[in-house]
Amino acid sequence: MNREPYSITIKELNDAGRDHIPPELLPSTHLIYSSPATLAFNSPGATGFGVKRAGLAIPGSVMLLVAPGCCGRNTKLLSEVRGYEDRFFFLLMDESDIVNGEHLAKVPDAVAEIVDYLEEKPSMVMICGTCVDALLGTDWERVCRKAEEKAGLPVRPCYMYALTREGRKPPMVLVRKAIYSLLEKRKRNSRTVNLLGHFSPLIDDCEIYDLLKQAGVRTINEISRCPDYDSYLAMAEANFNIVLDPEARTAADDLNERLGIPYLELTRLYQIDRIENQYRAFAGAIGAEFDDTKAREEAEKEIEAFLQEYRNASVAVGEMINANSFELALALIRYGLRVPEIYTNISAEDYVYIRRLAELSPETKVYTNLSPTMLYYDCGTEAVDLTIGKDAVYYHPDQPNVPWNSDRQPFGYAGVKKLFSEMREAMKEHV
Amino acid sequence: MKGLRKIIYPFAPDQSGAAAVFYELGGMIIICDAGGCAGNICGFDEPRWFRQKSAIFSAGLRDMDAILGRDDLMIEKIRAASEKLYASFVAIIGTPVPATIATDYHAIRRMGEKRIGLPVVTVDTNGALLYDNGIEKAYLALLDRFAEDTSETDVIPGSVGVLGATPLDTDSLDAFAKIRKSLLDDGTSLVVCYGEGVSGQANSDAEDYAGLNAFRYAGRMEKNIVTAPAGLKAARLLKERFGTPYEYADPMIDEVWQGIKTQLGDDDLCGKKILIIHQQIRANAIRERIREEIGKDKTDETQIKVATWFKPIRECREAGDLHIREEDEFIALFEQDFDIVIADRTFQKAARAFDGFWVELPHFAVSGDFGEETVVAPRFYGE
Repeated sequence: MNREPYSITIKELNDAGRDHIPPELLPSTHLIYSSPATLAFNSPGATGFGVKRAGLAIPGSVMLLVAPGCCGRNTKLLSEVRGYEDRFFFLLMDESDIVNGEHLAKVPDAVAEIVDYLEEKPSMVMICGTCVDALLGTDWERVCRKAEEKAGLPVRPCYMYALTREGRKPPMVLVRKAIYSLLEKRKRNSRTVNLLGHFSPLIDDCEIYDLLKQAGVRTINEISRCPDYDSYLAMAEANFNIVLDPEARTAADDLNERLGIPYLELTRLYQIDRIENQYRAFAGAIGAEFDDTKAREEAEKEIEAFLQEYRNASVAVGEMINANSFELALALIRYGLRVPEIYTNISAEDYVYIRRLAELSPETKVYTNLSPTMLYYDCGTEAVDLTIGKDAVYYHPDQPNVPWNSDRQPFGYAGVKKLFSEMREAMKEHV
Repeated sequence: MKGLRKIIYPFAPDQSGAAAVFYELGGMIIICDAGGCAGNICGFDEPRWFRQKSAIFSAGLRDMDAILGRDDLMIEKIRAASEKLYASFVAIIGTPVPATIATDYHAIRRMGEKRIGLPVVTVDTNGALLYDNGIEKAYLALLDRFAEDTSETDVIPGSVGVLGATPLDTDSLDAFAKIRKSLLDDGTSLVVCYGEGVSGQANSDAEDYAGLNAFRYAGRMEKNIVTAPAGLKAARLLKERFGTPYEYADPMIDEVWQGIKTQLGDDDLCGKKILIIHQQIRANAIRERIREEIGKDKTDETQIKVATWFKPIRECREAGDLHIREEDEFIALFEQDFDIVIADRTFQKAARAFDGFWVELPHFAVSGDFGEETVVAPRFYGE
């Protein structure tokens, strides 16, 4: 019997083509291994921004999770994070509720009791439903309307429906829509822009703030920087939205349809020349001109500083990162580093990077964190100098690691600069 | 309101209890879910996950799998994985998804054994019940599937089987070793902890009765010890089938009591009103230690109540002991004027009316924590 973890080279992957991705790389076709490397994937409520944490993005909101006890169990971890204390409440289903849905009748009273219990009244209550209600076909909009009448404040649903993870509108797409659902039509301000997609702000020194100001924008809104509910509601005044994560497209479409706010999309990239091209196209689209020289040069300087010390470093790239694993691997290889291993799932959209990787580094191996065979991954088989990602460090625990999954979101040249700075720091500390 | 929790977070669910029993037995453990339940079990309720590998997998169910009842697809996934892994059996653990669609576990078991070629056990947990229900069901499923018939002459003199010891109740990662040491020190010849893997055993004799073999040869134990209410049904079953007697005991009580004593210092417990909150058997063992401490002649002056959120055992309860089901009930409990509370610190926030001395008694099934000194899992948060 073969006790090897499944892997495939970039060349083999490219040769197979985007329409023939091996089933081992598609989570829906096999059992899913929940190794410590994958907990963020498999337990979206447990780490990073899953539905529960994301659903509380509206300032002053609280959440009522309506579910069997198991779905709320790990929420205790979230409650220990600053800013989330006393914001989670639970309406626990019993065995009969699972079948007959009687818990739904209790939701309005539960919301009213929570509002009454809290000394400081919440701005709104987010109801979080789970797989049971997905299967019962619960009409959460209706339940929320009843709760609103009873409690006298806005109540909205979000859907922690893990069963629909690979569907057309998975939970993380719908929760992004839910958090903007309270915005109502207002007079638009031509000098206001919203950044959509993340639940925490971009890093403060990101050049996009400066570039937008060069284009005449005075107010740049991010939901996570809204100090209160009123400033959140003022996001409805934006002239246009910038989508920074493709999972926010549905939210942007909704805002376009309901409030008439158009949007454009920018991709997080780590290849300097691609970042430059994207900014040029962006400036053209909004009829402006950007001078990004300073930001680009700072990033280039940081890359060079790393390369001077660690020119031939070999870097393993995971997927629990603020990056597309393949794009980041491609960037590192183009800068002159080696990437022997990538741990990630694959979608057809990744082939734009895989094709180029196949030319530059055909022997790079791709593993999937979720494969049951990863039980047998032996970290001694490949020499790696540095790992990027919380998952990657699990496979090479003795090597320096850059987690690269902070809440604060890297973007553009500033993201590249920060990444290489952290890579250099990690290498230096390890010595 | 019934079911509403404003302060106390949900406790470990039944599916986590079941997984805790199977964890070290060398099988493939399939959580019949969409992914989140398996993540909860591994990332929160299973402290061994970060130091000891186990083949726990999510079935990765999707909405159409559930709506169309595509059990055959799940069995095919298990079969495919079993070809690449070493496993001696398959355990399929239920979650709210199969509970909602009324999955036929009996059919899954039969179809699984036929197609996969390994023994299959199923546990119909649903995520709405508590961890002790899951432990109980897992023990019964394993005994039902594996326990071999035994004659009286097979019984090993001086042997003891331990039922109920999982990290959720023992609150220690080294519980099996500690229990074994405690019982061997007391003169036991062989200690078999149900749910303990082969790797922790001291010698080959002990290895023969570890892992899945513990369940195969369950009838050979001279006596069973029930360390938590979750082990009681299995003990009753073994008594009925093999005539094995059982008793209640907490072999880790010395260590637990030491932790309590350290916090109490030189406080005189005599005449105090004390509340102990844990599972019934550990709480009872602590109550007995307190009584020993204050002396039999002064026992009447001291009021010691046990409260449990989990399965109560009728014959272990004393008048005034409480079985708590709702948060409101728990909060109201502190309208009574206790001097000392011995309980997991998670409960402290809900005991706002209490102004006495709180002695920390970790309960992993409550807090997901062994107390201050043991960091179990890396907690990935923020910057």
